[in-house]
Amino acid sequence: MKKDTTPFFVGYLKPAKKLRSFLLAVGVGLALLLTTFGIVIGGTQDDPGYGSFRFDYGPQTVSGVVEMLPYPILHVTDGNERVPAGETLMLTAGGKTGVAQRAARFDGKKVKATGVVLERGALNMLQLRGGKRGLDAIDGEEATAPTPEPLGKWKLAGEICDGKCLAGAMRPGRGLAHKACAALCLIGDIPAVFVSTKPVEGADFLMVLGKDGEALPKAAYDYIAQYISVEGDITRHGNLLVFTIDPGTIEVLE
Amino acid sequence: MNTAEALVDFVRIWFMIGGVVAAFFLVIGIDRIDEDARGAYVFRPLIVPGILLIWPLVLWRWWVLETGRDNPDARFHPVRSAHGVAAFSMAIIITVTVIIGLSNRQEWPADFEPVRLSAPEGTSQ
Repeated sequence: MKKDTTPFFVGYLKPAKKLRSFLLAVGVGLALLLTTFGIVIGGTQDDPGYGSFRFDYGPQTVSGVVEMLPYPILHVTDGNERVPAGETLMLTAGGKTGVAQRAARFDGKKVKATGVVLERGALNMLQLRGGKRGLDAIDGEEATAPTPEPLGKWKLAGEICDGKCLAGAMRPGRGLAHKACAALCLIGDIPAVFVSTKPVEGADFLMVLGKDGEALPKAAYDYIAQYISVEGDITRHGNLLVFTIDPGTIEVLE
Repeated sequence: MNTAEALVDFVRIWFMIGGVVAAFFLVIGIDRIDEDARGAYVFRPLIVPGILLIWPLVLWRWWVLETGRDNPDARFHPVRSAHGVAAFSMAIIITVTVIIGLSNRQEWPADFEPVRLSAPEGTSQ
């Protein structure tokens, strides 16, 4: 009977001489291929930006007035070194949930809010602690939210994102790679934010609402993370711009 | 209903059905099709997440084993030649998908200037 001399690879044994060059070529080739693939894919990705959770600040406690848009925002009246008075913070809870239900009963009232700050330039958000430790009314103190200032009707180009990931909860917090996450966050009532191609009245980021001031319309959900142009009215609430869009004017850009 | 909500609802319903299948399978089915599992209970909660994901496969295997249609020798059959074609095709499809995806990406419209269509009511533009 003829002896079969075909080399056979066994992982825990020294490789057969005939197989060594082949295995070396495959190993080096695979490493080069994957490295090249990683560099090419990585090179095509957009800069995720500089937003981040500021755990290094520690929990921040500020006082202010809650305004329901219907996404809740906090106009800070008594701030601190990190979050000065006059700031307007969007509010959120942990995970992919907003705090609209928790905050609704404090609409127009002065509250004490405690949580972790998310910062991305002029876009600020506070992830509240749970229960009354995160948000509670301050009895006996009066304060009013700044009067909204209409800025007219605008046509902007950019992208609809969720405010939490964009502010720094995720990197990247925008773009197609983040589309599913953004959709889940927005379904969970986290404030929607529009990223404009160029600053509008000094702001790159605007909170997005529906035409009648409702939360992001369902008709706009399919355009999340796509580059679009859209028309709507802009109003300044504190130092936050609010863009009430008409979903019928959305156009997907090339 | 938009696509995102439909996907979330689909996953929710899938997991709910999976939960029902897990309850029936771990209480009734597993004792009927796997004699080694009889009298063993602690491990059962550990396989709940798996059942939530692949409950149709669990139901199918339960039915195959329950009705005596199983061929226990099948698992020792050599890998079918079609697997090679499938693996090669998958490598091609993934590569082509990545290339098409990257080449069809939208460009960030960096040059688009915000346009003020009208001034707020009560003011002149």
